[in-house]
Amino acid sequence: MELKELATKTRILEGAGYRYSFDREVYFNRQAKKAFSVEFVEDRSEDEIEQLIRDNAPSTNWRFFFVEPPSAAVERELANILG
Amino acid sequence: MEGRTVEDKLREEYFEILPEIRAVCEHLEAEIKYRVLPISHSLDRFERIIVRSRVKECESALDALRRRQEGATFDPERAEAYTLRSLKDLAGVRILAFPRARLGEIDAALRNVFDNWTEDPVLGDNGEKLAFKYWGFSAASNEISGEYQIVSMLTGLFWEVEHSAIYKPSPQLRGVVRSPKMREPIANVLKALSAFDEEFELSIQQPR
Repeated sequence: MELKELATKTRILEGAGYRYSFDREVYFNRQAKKAFSVEFVEDRSEDEIEQLIRDNAPSTNWRFFFVEPPSAAVERELANILG
Repeated sequence: MEGRTVEDKLREEYFEILPEIRAVCEHLEAEIKYRVLPISHSLDRFERIIVRSRVKECESALDALRRRQEGATFDPERAEAYTLRSLKDLAGVRILAFPRARLGEIDAALRNVFDNWTEDPVLGDNGEKLAFKYWGFSAASNEISGEYQIVSMLTGLFWEVEHSAIYKPSPQLRGVVRSPKMREPIANVLKALSAFDEEFELSIQQPR
């Protein structure tokens, strides 16, 4: 993946209030309760990421956008860490 | 045992296999130094070859395995699925050469010995080869693999600076250097070092 493309996606995420977790290598937004893995961001198009950011379906649980969906145990672990 | 984390299990595994990792490292370093010796003896005054070995530290090994998982998180319900033996570089040797014209020669000399090892070059973000890299099993162990890299001295020393200045004192900062935002500045540094190598090689080929 081109670095420019990755930089554009990073800008999209940061513009929408997402922060990068250096430890977990995910972009996350506590208010939206969503997290995108780096692998997912690299794999998907800008349009798809923007659409997932815009999707405001109310949720009390964290939603994780991973290439390989995480197990319930990993989701619990990450939800605890991300707060 | 209840209450043990995946990390606890892996730390126990690390210290079980540590003597074997050390044996692989020593074997690999000795073999490589011996094979590179004829080249080292033929170097011009300005040329250098350095062979360095290291045993991956426990926390560094755990961190590397954790970061292989998407979301850099172990699944506590699949603890048995993780093993440090899956890391190829628990025992590693790096050969640094200046100028880089020597890299191919060193690679050819070592390929004769490690002919059944798997090639796994280090590539930059633009697909350019940054280092020759191979992994495989040696006579020292059929369970713990070793890895060797052959890299231009400037690039190798930059990686060492990254390691000693950032990861060593603050392992939690490893993720910063790996982050998408840091990839571009790192690519720029590597490009500049490569340009230096290239210009230097051209300059020394001209009559002085």
